[in-house]
Amino acid sequence: MLGFLILLAVFVPILAPYNVVQAWNDPGAWTNNPKLAAPEWSEIFSGKHLPRTILLASNGEPGGFDKVRISFNVSGQTYTIVVLRKSFSFQFDTFPSEIKLFMTAVFGNATGTQIRVFWDRPDGQEIHLFDGNPSVRAPYENTYSLTGPSFKDPSYAVYSSVRDWLIAKNVTNQTEWASLYPTSGGIYQNPPQTQTMLMGRLNRTILDPETAEVLKGNYSFRIEFSGFTPTDDANARAVVYGTVFGLAGTDYEGRDLLVALLWGAPVALAFGVAGALASVLIQTILGAISGWYGGFIDEFVQRTADFYLIIPTLPILILLGILYHLGILLILFVLVVFGVVGATTKVVRSIVLQVKEEQFIEAARSYGASRSRILFRYILPRVMPYTFALIALTVPAFIFLEASLSFLGLGDPSLPTWGHILGDAYTQGALFASRAYPTGLWWWVFFPAAGIIFTTVAFALLGYAFDKVLNPRLREQ
Amino acid sequence: MGVGRYLARRALFLAITFVIAIYVTVVIANGFGKVDEILKAQIYQDLKQAYARNPAYNRLPPEEQARQFNITYNATIEAQGLNEQFLPKTIRYTASALQLKLGRATQLRSGDGSASVSAIIFERLPRSLVLFTVANVIAAVVGIWLGLWMARKALSPFDRGMTVLSVTTFVVPPWVYGILFILVFGFGLKVFPSGGLTSVPPPPPAPLSAAFPPLIAIGLALAGYLANKHVRTKYRLIGYGVMAAAAAVLVAWILAPYDYFKDLEWHMILPATAVAFSVFGSWSYTTRNLVLQVMDEDFVFAARARGLKERDVLSKYVLRTASPPIVTSLALTLAAAWTGAIITETVFNYPGLGALFFEAISLQDAPVVIGLTTMYALLLVVTVFLLDLTYSLLDPRIKALRR
Repeated sequence: MLGFLILLAVFVPILAPYNVVQAWNDPGAWTNNPKLAAPEWSEIFSGKHLPRTILLASNGEPGGFDKVRISFNVSGQTYTIVVLRKSFSFQFDTFPSEIKLFMTAVFGNATGTQIRVFWDRPDGQEIHLFDGNPSVRAPYENTYSLTGPSFKDPSYAVYSSVRDWLIAKNVTNQTEWASLYPTSGGIYQNPPQTQTMLMGRLNRTILDPETAEVLKGNYSFRIEFSGFTPTDDANARAVVYGTVFGLAGTDYEGRDLLVALLWGAPVALAFGVAGALASVLIQTILGAISGWYGGFIDEFVQRTADFYLIIPTLPILILLGILYHLGILLILFVLVVFGVVGATTKVVRSIVLQVKEEQFIEAARSYGASRSRILFRYILPRVMPYTFALIALTVPAFIFLEASLSFLGLGDPSLPTWGHILGDAYTQGALFASRAYPTGLWWWVFFPAAGIIFTTVAFALLGYAFDKVLNPRLREQ
Repeated sequence: MGVGRYLARRALFLAITFVIAIYVTVVIANGFGKVDEILKAQIYQDLKQAYARNPAYNRLPPEEQARQFNITYNATIEAQGLNEQFLPKTIRYTASALQLKLGRATQLRSGDGSASVSAIIFERLPRSLVLFTVANVIAAVVGIWLGLWMARKALSPFDRGMTVLSVTTFVVPPWVYGILFILVFGFGLKVFPSGGLTSVPPPPPAPLSAAFPPLIAIGLALAGYLANKHVRTKYRLIGYGVMAAAAAVLVAWILAPYDYFKDLEWHMILPATAVAFSVFGSWSYTTRNLVLQVMDEDFVFAARARGLKERDVLSKYVLRTASPPIVTSLALTLAAAWTGAIITETVFNYPGLGALFFEAISLQDAPVVIGLTTMYALLLVVTVFLLDLTYSLLDPRIKALRR
């Protein structure tokens, strides 16, 4: 287990470079991933072939949109027409979670620059989705969500197009549509899921997302752009978002959780081991000093240890975290400061009190070794083996302290640690069932929790193994 | 030095520690003066806005406006005690915290709308107290029993398996089990509610006696089990009968209509299990090791040689000797469980002290934070002192000081 973790910690930074972590906090870097998607392999539970994300690249890239551009002049007025087409095959058993169209456009100042978007279905039907005026010039993209209920999108136009199409095909009528999807002030109370209507079999079932059947086959986008200057141009790409993604799924920003899971390992290992090493070594040395020198120093160290036992560490730590948003190194430092004396000091002191009476110490004293020499060259080496077991057993405590703080949103905000992911999942409601996700967003919670448990259990077992070797009483009866 | 002097010395030391701990908390809760700055800025903003909306004020000349504004601003700062020097102020806070005059919350309110910090804390205290005491007592009973059993079957596959289970479960804190339990039992199997104190809206109220059936069931089961250990085989039927009655009470309770207390207890099962699951391992592992150590001692050998029953050797000789360290760890884990409740209660949305602490910190409600930390520190101090007291009674070495 530990070997696997160490391998992971070594290889992750090589395989997934640090800039992935930087991209973690950039929402723009994840727009091609579906949001809140389950892992791909989870489809074996449902027995259905769940949709992956289909990327339709822009013109100029391999497999991208086909483009035809003509520019002509009629009685002094230039017209530029661009037609973009792309078809894709959809062979999955359920509907995609979202469909988005991204357009770049070069256009002059004349009003009336227009795009018209059409949707061709495998059954030969064509839906005129919407007409729009690009508002942003290249290189920035105009984003059109064909399914999302957002006001900025022309999705309301898509809704009415879909409605008109369904009415024209005698699938429904005005009154039924209005009763199914009531509006108030022109705003849908419960917007229809257009992806089920765009991609469903054309019959009565299409009206209800629960019963709609997927129409498999080749779909295509057709986009007509018309502008009024000779330099006008347009390009498009589209994403048909799936409902499953990768090995570990995605979170609410579409971020690949596998990245965070893998990066969590080296961060947790480094944090836990560094913290445990520092605090246990300091505690050991203080305990040894306390036991060896005795007297006033002993009294002072022991009373300090009692004091540390009494102050409520976690509440004070949380307080500090809230007031001074600490980075990961500062958190480590504060944790070590709160752990300079503690249980280990007491254990080591009692061991030293035994070792003190042994003959080799007597021998060292007799040939005139100084007190500090005896402490560092004779006593500490004797105590060290116990320290290893304690370090291994303290690592989980540090990993969980970091995770606890991150869970509460007080950890390092830039690092995707396991606790951070769990905290995100909790605040975004992954632990609450909703209609779309009746089992909660289990992958978002389960994997990071499993990662933490796996790591800490590995260290606990290591500590237990040390303990067994060093404590002969536990080994043989 | 007698026991009295020893205890007096410990009490003095603990009192000093308590005072320092409270002072540290007061200083940190005020953010080394930072919170005051935030509050002042907020008052400034609020006043500016209030004045900007006041037409009479806007008609005044600018100097007069500034003068009026300053008068009100300074009066407000004065009234809220924000202009005091940092040191005297923190000392004053500490003094009133030590007298348990916890003051008034700035933002949080209790269920009936009171702003008094003690009202807020005492409204929540019983909930946390019940939850964590029940969970820890269950964990302790199960853990000690398991530890004894493991020690008796030392080095068997059962012992090895349970040792690994104990060692691996107790490193994981309760809130991690909490979220996994919510996922599995709350959503996967839909057996238990995923969080909260009661359902929303709460079921109809019930008499307090409705709270007892599960406790009675547990008590009967334990009584039956213990009785069976001390009677001859032919009387065992009585014990089994009592245990069957316990099971019947439990089943009846589960089948009974849903009332307020059943709802309350139903909501407590998952958090209590999570806490118990993360705690029992340290009990069983410690008990096993201590018992095995004591079992090596000569007096145990002598007791065995006298032909005493293995069970009597274990309960009367081994466990009695091993009990002081076990008592220590009981008291310390109980006290630690209180502070550890912060995240567990947040995860389960359980409105106890831990969740209150987190709310208070998020709202930067310093009086509540100080009040709670005082309570925590007081609790720890009292626990440690009681521990010293118990030790002085149990440990013959301290008793020997008397002579």
